[in-house]
Amino acid sequence: MAEIIVVTSGKGGVGKTTTSASIACGLARRGKRVVVIDFDIGLRNLDLIMGCERRVVYDFVNVIQGDCSLKQALIKDKRIETLYVLAASQTRDKEALTSEGVRRVLDELANDGFEYIICDSPAGIEKGAHLAMYFADRAVVVVNPEISSVRDSDRILGLLASKTSRAEKGNGGVKEHLLLTRYNPRRVASGEMLSVDDVKEILGLDVIGVVPESPDVLSASNAGLPVILNDVSDASHAYEDAVARLLGETVPLRFVTEPKKGLFARIFGS
Amino acid sequence: MNTDLNLGPKRPAEPSIPSPVDIRYGQIGLMQLRIRTTDTGVLLDELTGRMNTAPNFFHRTAVCIDLSELEKAPETQEIKAILEAVRRAGMLAVGLAGASVQIEALANAVNLPILSAFRAAGISAAAVEPAQRVATEPVPSELGNAAMIQQQTVRSGQRIYARNRDLVITAGVGAGAEVIADGCVHIYGSLRGRAMAGAHGQLNARVFCQEFHAELVSIAGVFRVFETIPATLAGKPVQAWLDGEVLHFAPVGG
Repeated sequence: MAEIIVVTSGKGGVGKTTTSASIACGLARRGKRVVVIDFDIGLRNLDLIMGCERRVVYDFVNVIQGDCSLKQALIKDKRIETLYVLAASQTRDKEALTSEGVRRVLDELANDGFEYIICDSPAGIEKGAHLAMYFADRAVVVVNPEISSVRDSDRILGLLASKTSRAEKGNGGVKEHLLLTRYNPRRVASGEMLSVDDVKEILGLDVIGVVPESPDVLSASNAGLPVILNDVSDASHAYEDAVARLLGETVPLRFVTEPKKGLFARIFGS
Repeated sequence: MNTDLNLGPKRPAEPSIPSPVDIRYGQIGLMQLRIRTTDTGVLLDELTGRMNTAPNFFHRTAVCIDLSELEKAPETQEIKAILEAVRRAGMLAVGLAGASVQIEALANAVNLPILSAFRAAGISAAAVEPAQRVATEPVPSELGNAAMIQQQTVRSGQRIYARNRDLVITAGVGAGAEVIADGCVHIYGSLRGRAMAGAHGQLNARVFCQEFHAELVSIAGVFRVFETIPATLAGKPVQAWLDGEVLHFAPVGG
């Protein structure tokens, strides 16, 4: 039984694709059969973050329109045996996605034995975002600790609670998780950013992970290596924790306070 | 009767399930049949004569029978005969006009409403008083209905409208969300969005919330935005009510 997880946010640039790639890798590293799908038709990015941009021959829209089989369009990851990517089309627009087509592809993936289907949603609340969330069982809502991102996430949470297949059928709705990204404890302490508790309180949801702001995220994107695979980065550890919590493990929250300065640093300051 | 229903800054969206009944004010032209005799023979002759001049116009047309020109109000038997004459002439009587205690009694006896009481001629001042009082009283509202209960957080962009009842929300209301009720709005959580009570003009409706961070609060169309609400109330349990044209806010509870 495949579980469909949408990674969404409403606002652009908060880290949806980075999160989709890292969660997919994290789950696959634990031996799960995972496919990650880019729903951002016309602005495809996931293939770059996953480092498979030169291997895209057929894409999601080709599969929906019957130009190729699903097998032909799935790109097998070179690093992790059980991970596959389904790229977006760069030359079409979001109108090429149809509800029926998306359902068919998701059903086929589930029948192929995938355990997790990660849907990387485009920004906004238009058709692409709607279809990315519509069939989801769970949602990871990516939030930056600032008010505009929090408000957009609130809007997305409202749509998850009303405009999804699970909500319409009334079978428990979509399970929602918050993931904070670009979290900077120093700026939180100085009042420039909202704290984890502020965000939890405003949105009324618990967080599944807090990813610290880190230069490693950008360099990982440039290298086509999902940041979770950079084992020396804090961001990687934070994503690893989030994956563990997605799977129901209890892991203490890290990287939410400013690292304590050592004795040397305290004496000589900075 | 104030037919211009005040729905606050914005009209509430239709609820997702349309109610089986809509009660609205509408204006429809209605023919008035002013009679100056209770002699049904004369009436019937006159009416059939007029009918023949324009049968398509008068056939099955709705009429209001104006009794105010009569020297004295007809007896119950007489009014029944008049109604029968009108019916035989091919018109449909839908109400009586004329303001006097006797005509009210007649209307009850023949089970017809009294229409346009003030326009009918020859009204005594005493008769006007009760008629106006009745007319300006609010339509008996169905605010006795059980409150609508919302247990999920109301998210930004969502709108909840409790028609003819109170709205009770056991979760929070996000910034950019709107919660609207014809009665009171009770929020057992934080209010960061907009709350509108008394959406159809109920002046005694109130807004209550556990944790006050509202963008806007409106009661019966009188509203205040957060800039004009005392900042000392932020985060506190607050109620809002209307006193004349002024919207008040104060802490509520312990």
